[in-house]
Amino acid sequence: MTRDVARQAVMRKKTIMPETTVKSPSGVNRVPNRGYGRWTPFWFLAPAVLTLLLIGIYPTIFALVTSFRRYNIARPREGFPFIGFENYASVLTDSTFWASLGTTARFYITVLPIEVMLGLCIALLLHKTGMGFLKALARVTLVVPLATTYAVVGLIGRLIFNRDFGVANQVLNTFGFDSFDWLGSPAGAFAAIAIMDIWQWTPFCALIFLAGLSMVPGEIEEAARLETSSKWALLKHVQLPYLLPGLTALLILRSADVLKLFDMVFVMTRGGPGSATDLVSIYIQRVGFRIFDLGTASAQAILLLILTIVISRLYIRILYKEVQ
Amino acid sequence: MTFLQLNNIQKKFGEMSVIKGVSFSAQKGEFVVFVGPSGCGKSTLLRMIAGLEDVSDGTLSIDGKDVTYEEPAKREVSMVFQSYALYPHMSVFENMAFGLRMIKLPEDQIKARVLEAARILQIEALLERKPKALSGGQRQRVAIGRSIVRNPKIFLFDEPLSNLDAELRTQMRVEIAKLHRNLGATMVYVTHDQVEAMTLADRIVVLRGGLVEQIGTPTELYDRPANTFVAGFIGSPKMNFLAATVDGVDGGSLKLSHPAFAGGSLTVASDTAGRVKTGDTIIVGMRPEHLTLDAANPVLTLALDISENLGGSTQLYTTGGGEPVTLVVPGRPSLNSGDGLNVGIDASHIYLFDAAGQALRASH
Repeated sequence: MTRDVARQAVMRKKTIMPETTVKSPSGVNRVPNRGYGRWTPFWFLAPAVLTLLLIGIYPTIFALVTSFRRYNIARPREGFPFIGFENYASVLTDSTFWASLGTTARFYITVLPIEVMLGLCIALLLHKTGMGFLKALARVTLVVPLATTYAVVGLIGRLIFNRDFGVANQVLNTFGFDSFDWLGSPAGAFAAIAIMDIWQWTPFCALIFLAGLSMVPGEIEEAARLETSSKWALLKHVQLPYLLPGLTALLILRSADVLKLFDMVFVMTRGGPGSATDLVSIYIQRVGFRIFDLGTASAQAILLLILTIVISRLYIRILYKEVQ
Repeated sequence: MTFLQLNNIQKKFGEMSVIKGVSFSAQKGEFVVFVGPSGCGKSTLLRMIAGLEDVSDGTLSIDGKDVTYEEPAKREVSMVFQSYALYPHMSVFENMAFGLRMIKLPEDQIKARVLEAARILQIEALLERKPKALSGGQRQRVAIGRSIVRNPKIFLFDEPLSNLDAELRTQMRVEIAKLHRNLGATMVYVTHDQVEAMTLADRIVVLRGGLVEQIGTPTELYDRPANTFVAGFIGSPKMNFLAATVDGVDGGSLKLSHPAFAGGSLTVASDTAGRVKTGDTIIVGMRPEHLTLDAANPVLTLALDISENLGGSTQLYTTGGGEPVTLVVPGRPSLNSGDGLNVGIDASHIYLFDAAGQALRASH
């Protein structure tokens, strides 16, 4: 620490020293203009801050303000009067909202354990020694689903689960089962969007876990191998503590992501059939852009934001223990 | 009784051969040290005994049982790593208890064993701490404690002292020696530090390039090194070597010439009859601590370059016939750079090697 300070002091001295000795042609001492002033950091930061303000902060504040107004853009003549918590009250008593939130929760607890487990298995396989080239190839392959746009994942899903020519039914037929109208039945549609989500996000879990596993110092793993031959004990007692920070980040990201999951489901099922895949984001979109009741939709979105924050804080509180 | 047996052990990483056939055996309770320069394969060999590296060829047995392909945990060996390798999220107690919990020992026995080990190593006050709250020396003790509690068949040490400062290293070295004496356990210890090897070992295995150069007690290696490599590696400062020419062979003695010799020549008794002929090159080895100043019958005539006062003794760096020669002499002789020195040595302390570096005659 002190050595760093000292080194910085030396460096500072080095950079300042020439300034005092440089003379301009006219012989007047001056500080050479190196294009770096007190405002330079500001200019470097400005684009990011500005962008964040425009597409992050401003819409959030706008939604917050809107959530306290009657704001139906299909009926502009009624104006946008301030109505306090009326929107929130109607949202909280809206059974469809609760139902869609329930569907979202069901979706979350369906996909997340599978993604975490599969991801962990893949990570453990990739962590084993040997087969370097194949593993490198597998790691690259894992990025493909992550890099695919949600809407495109939805389109792929529609092709896979198409009743007449989808590959899912082809597989069923191969094993002697009848074709199934995946997207036409409530359970099938729910399964289809779950499978597509698992397809897209398992690799992410795998990569996060793989990073965690590679954080375990080799000698610590070896010390444990000398004390136990159980792979499970090794995972539980030695590797897991290194995976927890990653797992926390994963749970937080996936919670927020599932709560706002829209594009993929919208492309595949539009929330149907019936309300089988009517996730909360799909419902909010319907309220906002089919009924044009932006006030209520904003209130719903704000509630969702609060829910996300609460869940994230819980995960951090429960899981996050930094391994020293 | 042979307790640890390595039989023509080989290790290949792909095409590269790292251990090229090592055989040796250790008795129960013996303290064996693997020593050699970096990359000689000593750590790899230790890790193969532990089971952390696969054996490419050869067999390995512990306590009469072939464990060549046995899993590490089933070999009943424990290892102290260079980085200590303590589990960072566990307390000292948990670190030491982990292995015992894995074999499902009753909790009261675990506690008894951990407390006993903690008492031996004087770390009872640290049991509740996490490794990051310990100093290097304390971590080392915990790592050793983790080995002790398991009561293993063999203790393995992989350069355990190299991360400690000099004073602590000496202290821990003594403690490991005491531990060996008190536990009577079989220990295999890897180091590149020949002082650790000399002080700790019952027997030393000197390795170079994946091959055994010599196996023997510290005294044997010091007094009768098999070749110039072992002679140079064991002993500090290292042995001086002078490449001399054989001027004449006369029964039991050789007449050697080198510009550093007093009068240009030296006659040594040697029973190498038939193996050496006039005109051959012979490497003459002399340990710095065996050389004496102001000898009545000087063997070497040297010119002083630099002297280093070490307090109790003085290290002299000299040149003789263009070759560097180091001396360690007691006290603080008052000498100046450029002084000519008449240096003597007891004839029994002269080591002779052939041109390939193999010992011709070991003194004593």
